[in-house]
Amino acid sequence: MALIEIENLSVTFTAKGRPVRAVKGVSLAVEQGESYGLVGESGSGKSTILRAICGLAPVSGGTIRIGGQPLPSPRGADFSRRVQMVFQDPYASLHPRHTIDRTLSEPLAIHGIGNTDQRVTQALKDVGLPPNFRFRFPHQLSGGQRQRVAIARALMLEPSILLLDEPTSALDASVQAETLNLLNRLCAERGLTFLMVSHDLAVIDHMCDRILVMQHGQAVEELPREALAKAEMKTDYARSLFAASADRMLDA
Amino acid sequence: MTLLSVENLRVTFDTEAGVVEAVRGVSFSLGRERLGIVGESGSGKTQTGRSVLRLIRPPGRIEADRMNFDGIDLIKASERDMRALRGPRIAMVMQDPKYSLNPVMRVGQQLMEGLRRRDGMGKKEAHAKAIEALAAVQIRDPERVMDAWPHELSGGMGQRVMIAMMLIPNPDLLIADEPTSALDVTVQAEVLSILDNLVRTRGMGLIFISHDLRLVSRFCDRVLVMFKGKVVEELPARDLMKAQHPYTQGLLNCLPRIGGPREPLPALDRNADWAR
Repeated sequence: MALIEIENLSVTFTAKGRPVRAVKGVSLAVEQGESYGLVGESGSGKSTILRAICGLAPVSGGTIRIGGQPLPSPRGADFSRRVQMVFQDPYASLHPRHTIDRTLSEPLAIHGIGNTDQRVTQALKDVGLPPNFRFRFPHQLSGGQRQRVAIARALMLEPSILLLDEPTSALDASVQAETLNLLNRLCAERGLTFLMVSHDLAVIDHMCDRILVMQHGQAVEELPREALAKAEMKTDYARSLFAASADRMLDA
Repeated sequence: MTLLSVENLRVTFDTEAGVVEAVRGVSFSLGRERLGIVGESGSGKTQTGRSVLRLIRPPGRIEADRMNFDGIDLIKASERDMRALRGPRIAMVMQDPKYSLNPVMRVGQQLMEGLRRRDGMGKKEAHAKAIEALAAVQIRDPERVMDAWPHELSGGMGQRVMIAMMLIPNPDLLIADEPTSALDVTVQAEVLSILDNLVRTRGMGLIFISHDLRLVSRFCDRVLVMFKGKVVEELPARDLMKAQHPYTQGLLNCLPRIGGPREPLPALDRNADWAR
């Protein structure tokens, strides 16, 4: 049984009185310990799927099951302990007037977990930040450092699933490399399951075992990692996406 | 023909914690070509671009041995002369349409503002010009976009609106600061081909600031690689993948590749001698 099972998921927003179908009947399954990637252009509904899992998008049809159990609505405390999300923009996803210490200890306080002091220090260490960053504010950190804090926050409750929404697209190439290495290390150390969204095929290829290509809210094609490098895609859209990323090939 | 020449440009900020040197002695010249400036954040590439327009606010200071644009001394020019240059002669496209467009003004109003104020154009004529500019950047439904608010546009549309706005006065030099980093690959390719086409047909000079080496190598004629406020390497863009300098090589190596090995990506060495 897969850890994350999404069947026939639809998400419909209402914009100016008109329904907008952001996700139309997408199904996917992610195994325990797997890294699964969602790719597609802006507006293809890939981030909306992650938000729907967290209960942040209006699901209009289909089911989402984690570990075989359908998710309750609202999601509740157990869900937060199993699933956490890292957002795209580290400038917008940290509270600007909370210190790093407060940001990291808040989930512990909400879930009544003690030993805050030691856990916060350890969390900073795990993501490779010096301990004296604890009492800084987000504006005193660089983009890469902020994204590390966002990852540390997501890991405070020791979840088994991380939802990553373009975790490196706001970062420079060198900082992106450091962040991807960090995520891979944490994944190996803790046996995490990743569901990751990116528009950069090279990043997805580096991180993920299987890839789902999306367009206009629909699933276009599912590919294993090996098929991507060999350009063995069956649909035209997946091929055109691949062609636009041709300069990201190994031998380019 | 040289359009812009910059010699020994320095940008310094006096802060409470002491003097911060953002740009330390950058020299380059530019004809009617596409010059790329690449580097990490904090390498001074944006400050270099802004200095050309003297858009550095106090406590920042610009110093240079020489900074000439088409015979005009940009260091000595009065603020009034600079205002006449900004827009009609040298234009700048900023990074993020979310923050660079006025959120409480309709797109059309923003596009027409310059035409009406600067060129004293009538409403009808300005409207026609704005529509034409939107069509030039391949916006399919320009009438609708004219009436839209900035928050109603997607990132790619917003970026194209900004490019259209900068191109209306037909500048000689366009400085584009990360014009595509907020966009995804397919839209990125579209925006680049629009820029490319405009540079070719209008004979503009272009300074293209980006942290994406692959993009710059594909799109520009010449590349400056900046690190900590200095130019560490200057080379033709097509040779970027064969760069000699260890910093440039480091920047290239830390990019993941499709079909590449699954081992950790090499980290960039920022402590070597050349970094000092």
